[in-house]
Amino acid sequence: MTLTGWLFLVVSWSAILGLAVFCLRRTFRRNT
Amino acid sequence: MAELRKEPREAWGSRLGVILAVAGSAVGLGNFLRFPVQAAKNGGGAFMIPYFISFLLLGLPLMWIEWTIGRFGGGFERSTAPGIFETVWQKNRFIKYFGVIGIFGPTIIFIYYTYIESWLLGYSVFALTGRYASCSDQASMSAFLQGYQGLAQNEHFSGIGTAYLFFLITFVVNMLVVLVGLRAGIERVCKLGMLVLFLFAAMIMIRVLTLGTPDPAQPEWNVNNGFGFLWNPQWAKLKEARVWLAAAGQIFFTLSAGFGVILTYASYLRKQDDVALSGLTASTANEFAEVILGGSIVIPAAFAFFGPQATREIAEGGAFNLGFVTMPLVLQKVAFGQIFAFAWFFLLFIAGVTSSISLALPAVVFLQDEFNLDRKTAGILFALVTFNLCQVVIFFNGQGALDEMDFWGGTFCVVVFATIEVILFAWVFGMDKAWNELHSGSDIRIPQVYRVIIKYITPLFLVLILGFWFVQEGWPTLLLEKTPTEDAPLAANKVPYVIGTRVLLIDLFAALAFLVWLAWRKREGRGDTP
Repeated sequence: MTLTGWLFLVVSWSAILGLAVFCLRRTFRRNT
Repeated sequence: MAELRKEPREAWGSRLGVILAVAGSAVGLGNFLRFPVQAAKNGGGAFMIPYFISFLLLGLPLMWIEWTIGRFGGGFERSTAPGIFETVWQKNRFIKYFGVIGIFGPTIIFIYYTYIESWLLGYSVFALTGRYASCSDQASMSAFLQGYQGLAQNEHFSGIGTAYLFFLITFVVNMLVVLVGLRAGIERVCKLGMLVLFLFAAMIMIRVLTLGTPDPAQPEWNVNNGFGFLWNPQWAKLKEARVWLAAAGQIFFTLSAGFGVILTYASYLRKQDDVALSGLTASTANEFAEVILGGSIVIPAAFAFFGPQATREIAEGGAFNLGFVTMPLVLQKVAFGQIFAFAWFFLLFIAGVTSSISLALPAVVFLQDEFNLDRKTAGILFALVTFNLCQVVIFFNGQGALDEMDFWGGTFCVVVFATIEVILFAWVFGMDKAWNELHSGSDIRIPQVYRVIIKYITPLFLVLILGFWFVQEGWPTLLLEKTPTEDAPLAANKVPYVIGTRVLLIDLFAALAFLVWLAWRKREGRGDTP
């Protein structure tokens, strides 16, 4: 895997995981 | 009279329940099979650029639109597209007939999807019992699949009996979940199902990540290069319009937007319930399942065992080939392969069930809402009709019935329906009112730029997709010049069956439109209009 391949993987995964953390924190900040 | 007795309106038990139900509806076979194939074929890492742009400009706006107008319609005790569309555009007498697509589309998809889902249940059992253990290459595994589907008689299967048994079990499971109800059936199954799905997918992903270099004689065939096969960017592909269309199409279908099912799910929310954050959360859960889990299983595993050339051919062979032929072969080669193969097929089966129950709901709820039937009667009526139509898919699969239903129900109706929804939301309802409705009870503020995106860019994007699709696929397929799934001419012996399937689809659409007309006449008779 090339460096740019890794870059795409890391950026994509980070974006999704970041969004997931944001959503979960906001969702559970108030009750479900 | 029966119409005076109305059951109390159902409601979701929890916010997490509705989010997981929508995520369950979105997460399906496409996340684990279609996405990696599309990414590998359309530029690898570079594919993620149009993919994420489509997610932001098409996927998210459509999710928010469906959640918002679904909840809005639910406020008038309307849970399906004909009624919900009428609450949005009260002055238009014909808009309810456009809403028929939101019942017709999911019903058609339910009919063939349940059958495909039953293959996954069958293969889960075969994985544990070692039924396909004698198949050691692509050819014999393909023969096994064809024998199972009744497309060929061979040493594995003499007829379609086994497939039919698994279909019956799958159909009954689906109907039982729908009949039990929203909270006790769908919500509970989705909560448990999504947990099991993520656990099984994570388990297989970890196994794939630890495969290393399975064949020391082929040091280049390893997981690292398998990820490279999927993620190394091919920049030249970004100049091709079809790559951008493929990315938009993938986002569109993976989120289940435009099917009409999110409308029905969201209609059971209360007025003060959030839709903005819930829509975003359900979309993110789907993307997690697709990009992180789905992108880390089939392609890297196939690459590590079969190398770049074979993986390219496998990807070209399509998603089903990858799921039902390649993956069982791969998992036969790893320790505890039977357990991993069971986990693989069972997670796809769960992904299928959480999707198909959502597809059944609009039609069942339509009968409940508009004809004041109880859930049991509506469910049994739906089951009788769809069970009969499933026979067409099962017994004429080889003649193109399944592909034809997928083409009209799973592609054409979805894009048309989504386009209608966006126009209704942004242009008829009005962007100011729509924006306020979207933020009513909201836990997040959506950036203002989305006012422009929803009003101009998303509809333009959809019209472009519809236009390109119609020129490239729709028109030639309509004229019977090609098959819906590939660029090959339609075989002459299939033409009568394809026409027969179309007549059936037109009949079903006409019957649903008649039911809408009848229901509205009854409503007007009671003076009960929105």
